[in-house]
Amino acid sequence: MGTGAELTQIIDGCKSGDAECFAQVVDLYGPRCYGYFYRLTGDRDLSDELLSELFMKLVEKIASYKGGSFESWLFRIASNIFHDHLRGRKRQKKLVEGRRAELELRPVEAAQSDLTPDKADRLQTQLSRLDADTRDLIVLRYYSELSFKEIAEMRSEPLGTALSKLHRGLKKLRELMEG
Amino acid sequence: MRDRNYDELRELLTRFTDSSDAGSTERDIRAGDSLFDMHPAPQAAPETLATIKRRISVRLGMPRRHTHPLYRYVGAAAAVIAMALIGFFGRSAPEQPRVSYASLIPAAIWDSDDLVSDDAELAYFRSELRHIETQMQALEAGDGELVAAGSLDEVELELIRIDTQFWKE
Repeated sequence: MGTGAELTQIIDGCKSGDAECFAQVVDLYGPRCYGYFYRLTGDRDLSDELLSELFMKLVEKIASYKGGSFESWLFRIASNIFHDHLRGRKRQKKLVEGRRAELELRPVEAAQSDLTPDKADRLQTQLSRLDADTRDLIVLRYYSELSFKEIAEMRSEPLGTALSKLHRGLKKLRELMEG
Repeated sequence: MRDRNYDELRELLTRFTDSSDAGSTERDIRAGDSLFDMHPAPQAAPETLATIKRRISVRLGMPRRHTHPLYRYVGAAAAVIAMALIGFFGRSAPEQPRVSYASLIPAAIWDSDDLVSDDAELAYFRSELRHIETQMQALEAGDGELVAAGSLDEVELELIRIDTQFWKE
């Protein structure tokens, strides 16, 4: 990871529309953001799509970045993209199911879960057994490497609550992995 | 996980728990984190990152094309001609029902190279339009049962949703 000054220079380049600077941001943050999406969806293709959407959104929104933690800003967008995706899927599933007869679609096609791992991955399987909010918190903290304060702010919840949820969640995950 | 996060964690734990619990909580959290270290997520394929970079370059190139002075002059001239024609021919024409036009295909589909996924999106999009068309026809025909069931509101909500959420997908 580059120093703060290097990152500032790269972001300034992005703001002036330099594709090379955006490419550097993709190299710097792409792997972690991909890990974040993968651990939330368990699906490589979907993670590719979400990652692509994230960086296209970054191009759109970079002018609105006014300083502060860039990682926090980027992962906030990533989190919004993931939750938008979930809402879209739920709505799409509901609509398709509601009009199944009309559309002559089989329900199973629309009901494919996002959380179906595309290969055997024990951690992924056990993660999917945690509640969505705890899973989100654990994965966000690990991949974003944000401080607790930043994470609590991002999630609009008290520091103590985030800390206690994380502790309970990780403990439960370890028990599931050992069980 | 970076060391500074653990420094912060230790400080927070002493603030939120008593000293005897702080140690065991920190151990639990570290042990949980190590699960992620031991089971790394798959890496993004280099082709994926390359495709994203290519898409960014294309996107960055797009606004420049649109802001070329020639386009601005041609656009302005076309607008003036269109306004003049509307003013000339439209004066005596009978009032037409107002129709709202929207971009018919979500922008994401134009940008995408994934034909399989786009086909599914388009099929879904067509089904949405067919459903709304059916509802509109029923309303125009004065289908009392449909109107009584609050379908007018439903159609309106559907249009609002499509105008907002659907296009982001």
